[in-house]
Amino acid sequence: MAVTTGRKARWALIDVVVVVYALFPVLWIASLSFKTKETLADGNFIPREWTLQNYADIFATNEFIRPLINSLGIATIATLIAVVLGMMAAYAIARLDFPGKKALIGVSLLIAMFPQISLVTPLFNIESALGLFDTWPGLILPYITFALPLAIYTLSAFFREIPWELEKAAKMDGATPGQAFWRVIAPLAAPGVFTTAILVFIFCWNDFVFAISLTSTEASRTVPAALSFFTGTSQFEDPTGTISAAAVVITVPIVLFVLFFQRRIVAGLTSGAVKG
Amino acid sequence: MTTTTAAPTPPPVSEAAPVSAPRRRANPWKRRAPLLPALLFTIAVTQVPFLVTVFYSFQSWNLVRPGSQHFVGVQNYVDVFADSQFRGAMLNTVLLTVVCVFVSMLLGLGLALLLDRKFVGRSVVRTLIITPFLILPAAGALLWKTTMFDPTYGLLNVGFGGNTDWLSEFPLASVMTQVVWQWTPFMTLLILAGLQGQSKEVLEAAQVDGAGRWRTFASITLPQLSRYLQLAALLGAIYIVNSFDAIYLMTQGGPGTASTNLPFYIYQRAFEGFDVGQSSAMGVIVVVLTLVVATFALRLMFRTFEVSGGVK
Repeated sequence: MAVTTGRKARWALIDVVVVVYALFPVLWIASLSFKTKETLADGNFIPREWTLQNYADIFATNEFIRPLINSLGIATIATLIAVVLGMMAAYAIARLDFPGKKALIGVSLLIAMFPQISLVTPLFNIESALGLFDTWPGLILPYITFALPLAIYTLSAFFREIPWELEKAAKMDGATPGQAFWRVIAPLAAPGVFTTAILVFIFCWNDFVFAISLTSTEASRTVPAALSFFTGTSQFEDPTGTISAAAVVITVPIVLFVLFFQRRIVAGLTSGAVKG
Repeated sequence: MTTTTAAPTPPPVSEAAPVSAPRRRANPWKRRAPLLPALLFTIAVTQVPFLVTVFYSFQSWNLVRPGSQHFVGVQNYVDVFADSQFRGAMLNTVLLTVVCVFVSMLLGLGLALLLDRKFVGRSVVRTLIITPFLILPAAGALLWKTTMFDPTYGLLNVGFGGNTDWLSEFPLASVMTQVVWQWTPFMTLLILAGLQGQSKEVLEAAQVDGAGRWRTFASITLPQLSRYLQLAALLGAIYIVNSFDAIYLMTQGGPGTASTNLPFYIYQRAFEGFDVGQSSAMGVIVVVLTLVVATFALRLMFRTFEVSGGVK
């Protein structure tokens, strides 16, 4: 073989560097979250005294639990609605031909790129007037909007790959259109829908601009916004340990999720590109 | 898990579904129908507020002085362009965007070339590389602030010694570092898609013809990648121009206005200065700038990916 051990070693070294680059900050924060207040600043990579106090602290008050519930609820509802509406749109794009299709897709993608910050002030005023400010729907509405183009784009890439002739074949075999759809097409479409749902959920979960400007209390404040208050309020007590713990709690599920479904997520992120 | 999805549903749906079948040959508007709810919804939620923004931008309106709202024409735009802070924020935005896009694309290209090779544990390495992209951006920003740049706990000082307060001495560079860390995976994934799209035969042919690795890379891979690179740059630029979390959480635009970018300045003007008119004018300016870049990005997307490809 042409590949020498020297070259292999070099690639292995590059690998290690890359993984360290991507992961070091993450491991460091995990380490900080297990340190006691006294050893926080000692600079040891592995905590000398292990403690779960930081985790106990964040779950002791509503300051973290309530935003966590808000985040989960808001992101889940927004994802469900966006995926259902997105499926209808993607079906139309993948299956039906009509004039102006390209323009419609263009418009929806343009909306995805629309600077959110320029909508914040009017949304704030409109939502205050309608009584939506600082409520769940107040965040769900803008999230659906910005998640939809993403959902439509990913879903239509997946839908294009479905062998739709199977639907016809099932009907010839005597299935009703409903049966053909639910028994044949739905199972084939499920992975794509699922991937899209994950991506949309992460998108809603990550948002900060709307979360910080369209909420004011724990009634609807989500985790990213709540995190910023972690830093602000504790001038006298050093919050590094608690912030680290909070960051671990909200990051670990996503990372595990991704490890678990990584093939699908990568397929989703590069959808269209791979086959294009 | 997967087998159960098909079983329990059929009876109720089969009654509802036939309604759509006979309409197959209906006019084009019926065919557009499934697309309309999504489209109307997005347009309503983005364009109505945007029109409101445009309207506000022609008003002099400060929430601190109730009843001060009145029409002033383009005065806000004149004021905004005369405002040295706005120009500073503009400059910071351009700097932040150009540097971050460039650096993260270079890193992304390197990582993509690495991931395109087959080696043991490739999928694990790939997951680890995309991790920064999946971490809550707000958490990522705080993480860098408290664990990397902090003068006492920061890994940078622990690692290299000294007690530099990175965020106040090099605010913009620090923010850039975090943004690059966050966006490199995105670039990697896009470029990797481009790499995996190139035909193996051509590469083999080049090898047979005696082209070296660099030669192959420069004359085959790079031209093939150029569209993906352009797309990565444009999409990256659109999102990085609008970065807000990192600046809000790491530096609050400071010290002074050293790291204020446009989105943060707009937010500050609206939510801390209560100057609705001027912040809206700035919002309109950002929208116009983004749309210019976005149009290029869209054209490229349509050429690179088969976005609208229909029934085969």
